[in-house]
Amino acid sequence: MPNFPPPDGSTESHDERGDDSRPGSGLEKTDLELVKRAQQGERSAFDLLVLRYQHRVIKLVARLLRDPAEAEDVAQEAFVKAYRALGSFRGDSAFYTWLYRIAVNTARNAMASRQRRPLDYEADLGEHEQASVQSRLRHVDTPEAVALSDEIQQTVERAIQELPEDLRTAILLREVEGLSYEEIATAMDCPVGTVRSRIFRAREAVDRNLKPLLD
Amino acid sequence: MTDQIKEQISALLDGELPQNEMNLLVRRLERDAALRLAFGRYALVGEVLRAPGGALASAGFAERVSSAVAAGVSAAPSASAVAPSSRRRRATPMIGAAVAAGTLFAAVLLLVPEQGEQLQQARSVEPPAPVAADVEATGAASPTLARSQRMAAYLVAHGEYSTPIGRRNVWTGVLANDPGITRVSYEFSEAR
Repeated sequence: MPNFPPPDGSTESHDERGDDSRPGSGLEKTDLELVKRAQQGERSAFDLLVLRYQHRVIKLVARLLRDPAEAEDVAQEAFVKAYRALGSFRGDSAFYTWLYRIAVNTARNAMASRQRRPLDYEADLGEHEQASVQSRLRHVDTPEAVALSDEIQQTVERAIQELPEDLRTAILLREVEGLSYEEIATAMDCPVGTVRSRIFRAREAVDRNLKPLLD
Repeated sequence: MTDQIKEQISALLDGELPQNEMNLLVRRLERDAALRLAFGRYALVGEVLRAPGGALASAGFAERVSSAVAAGVSAAPSASAVAPSSRRRRATPMIGAAVAAGTLFAAVLLLVPEQGEQLQQARSVEPPAPVAADVEATGAASPTLARSQRMAAYLVAHGEYSTPIGRRNVWTGVLANDPGITRVSYEFSEAR
């Protein structure tokens, strides 16, 4: 995959940040809008936040617990706690940062209550450090989980490689580098509407390959 | 599910959907499970591209969370978990109302049994009739009752804003010095 420079001029790549909801970004605005709706009682808005962050939270919790099956229970507990505490979320930090803390604390509580030795020191690290150790912890997954994850991974990568170049570039600039549509439009010298369309078509193409696996 | 709506979902995921389109789309997503699944799959693509490897949520995880949230919470989250400061702000009028209600109840308890006791004693005591008549009058529209009503109103108003010790002192002082209550009790002790 091409390696694009970070849009904000930092030396830190997007995936190392571990949080694509940069302050002031459109992503964060979407999260805040969904949070606001959920705070007003629209549970479906919270459902969308769960759909958006479920994989990330489960990855995080699984790393701490060493058990992907248990990770789902703990991640579920973390999401329920987050929903209950949503009234206290005032948007001082990105939603995922807030959710991340709840997930880490819930995992810690689960480990303490089951008298487990904490897996490692990552729980005490910041989000940046967390992301950097992610690839070293594959062994904690069950064979089934690893197999499915690998299959999904390969399917997505293959589908991305098969995309026309303009679609592939657009989606990678968005997903991997975290550029806004406007930044991508500048980089690709095309209108913002075209960027929106290209990213959608890229996602659709990948989704067509992914859907059978998930069904 | 049209491509136009799916393109909106894609833009929503990226935080690039205009507010007016977002309102409509979120409502659509509330109603349409297939749209929500598409939203979830688009999110998964991004997750895989950004952070390869590791555990992923199983199919149905989000549904289970939704059910757990629905089962455990019946009200809006802001109502069940609010910031402490706003919780205090909301609690203050409630405390005031509770104190007022409690004070009124206490005043009624102090007055009603006494009047009831007066009536009961008056009935059980055979003449002198004048005492009974006096008691009947006291139960109807006597100056004592009027004072008691004013006192109850005062206690309610005072109790809403005073400290517990302040309230207790006021109750004690007012009740101890109420001439009507003293007089009625005295009359009954005389009657007995």
